[in-house]
Amino acid sequence: MECEQIAQLLPDYLQGDLRPDQQHDVEAHLKQCADCAEKIVLWEKLSLLPIEQPSPASRARFEAMLQAYRAGRSTEPRGHSPWRERFSSWNSFGWLHAPLGRVAWSAVLLAIGFISGLSLANSRSRSQDLAALESQLASMKQMVVLSMLQQQSAGARLEGVTWSTRDQQLDPKVLSALLHTLRHDPSVDVRLAALDALSRHSAQPQVRTSVVNALQDQQSPLVQVALIDQLVEWHDREAAPHLEKLRQSPNLNPTVRQRADWAISKLN
Amino acid sequence: MLQVRDGAGEMLGVLFDRYQTPLFNFYSKLTGDRTLSEDLVQEVFLRILKYRQSYRPGTPFRAWVYQIARNARIDHFRKFPRERAFEPEMLPPVPPTDSAVEQQEVELLQRALQQLPEEKREILLLCRFQELKYQEIAGLLGCELNTVRTRIHRALQDLRKAFHQLAQGTMLKKAEAAAAENIPPRGGRHGM
Repeated sequence: MECEQIAQLLPDYLQGDLRPDQQHDVEAHLKQCADCAEKIVLWEKLSLLPIEQPSPASRARFEAMLQAYRAGRSTEPRGHSPWRERFSSWNSFGWLHAPLGRVAWSAVLLAIGFISGLSLANSRSRSQDLAALESQLASMKQMVVLSMLQQQSAGARLEGVTWSTRDQQLDPKVLSALLHTLRHDPSVDVRLAALDALSRHSAQPQVRTSVVNALQDQQSPLVQVALIDQLVEWHDREAAPHLEKLRQSPNLNPTVRQRADWAISKLN
Repeated sequence: MLQVRDGAGEMLGVLFDRYQTPLFNFYSKLTGDRTLSEDLVQEVFLRILKYRQSYRPGTPFRAWVYQIARNARIDHFRKFPRERAFEPEMLPPVPPTDSAVEQQEVELLQRALQQLPEEKREILLLCRFQELKYQEIAGLLGCELNTVRTRIHRALQDLRKAFHQLAQGTMLKKAEAAAAENIPPRGGRHGM
């Protein structure tokens, strides 16, 4: 093969995205062509370039920017933030940590909550503000969970699943991302965590159907057993025929088959 | 109310921890200017906060962040045309490695990358360091997937040329230095 033909394949070769026959062609060419081989070497050496760290002040600036944004200012403060100084005066409220202080403070908060609740009920615009703020928060949470579920490292995806459990109500988009994770994530741990997160939302029919369907395409015995246990916990009678089908599939792990038998006897 | 606000901050904090170093390196390797790079990273997070409603769930989040990052840089240079060129002395020092040859090679590679035209440097940074998929880069640059492949190949070709020229220059300098040490000063032999 000529260098020009290889040029079209080389970028995909670097990402490992070629078909085996194309991969073979490129490798054969690289053995003969020093120029092309050198491009690969340089590409690999790029990973050795030093990673620079931003200065520690960067995080503080970010916090200040957040506070300024919350305060309704759209521009970033330079230098010392007046907010920071104002917050530092909060340290004088140390008495709040004392038990009596806590009780007193709770009572005050309860009263404030009650009064503001009454006034909020009367004032439409303020309740709209609150609703807008809550929806913003929900969108931010959703964004974090969705972005983390797409990360390359299993640890980050696991963290994403954990984040999703912070809410009582699951956003439909997060729900469908979790269902996708349960069925297709390469890591067993992440799939198990997704099942755990989904188990809190059994009231949604979509969740039950997905768990039943996941039974058929899971290969890991650990996940299979966890799915079976979950169906038994839900007393999902409709799952029995699916469990029967799983039981009969060839090459099934004996422990899983035993568990399926036990589950069928429980459900019937 | 305060809880609600703190909640949003805490979550943006998670994104900040995850993306600040990759974004900072994207900018510093493009511009060579640490201070500017830190400013731009802050600007990206401000924009994430402002425009978070524009993120469409289900689309790659990383690509969305880099779209914001590119726009932030373009907007900056539109407002403040470049004052400083990217000089070799603005490059970060390469940490010592086990082999002196390897360390020198990395230094040369860093300078070679710096010599590339900005759009070529950017595409290499996006696919090699920011780990964006070609499809995502195509979306980011507004071009076809095949164009991305061609551009990456051309950028690598140029990088190889620049690397070679620098390596030859260094060898020449070394040879001169070695020669200067070995040859006695002019007139030394016939003096006295």
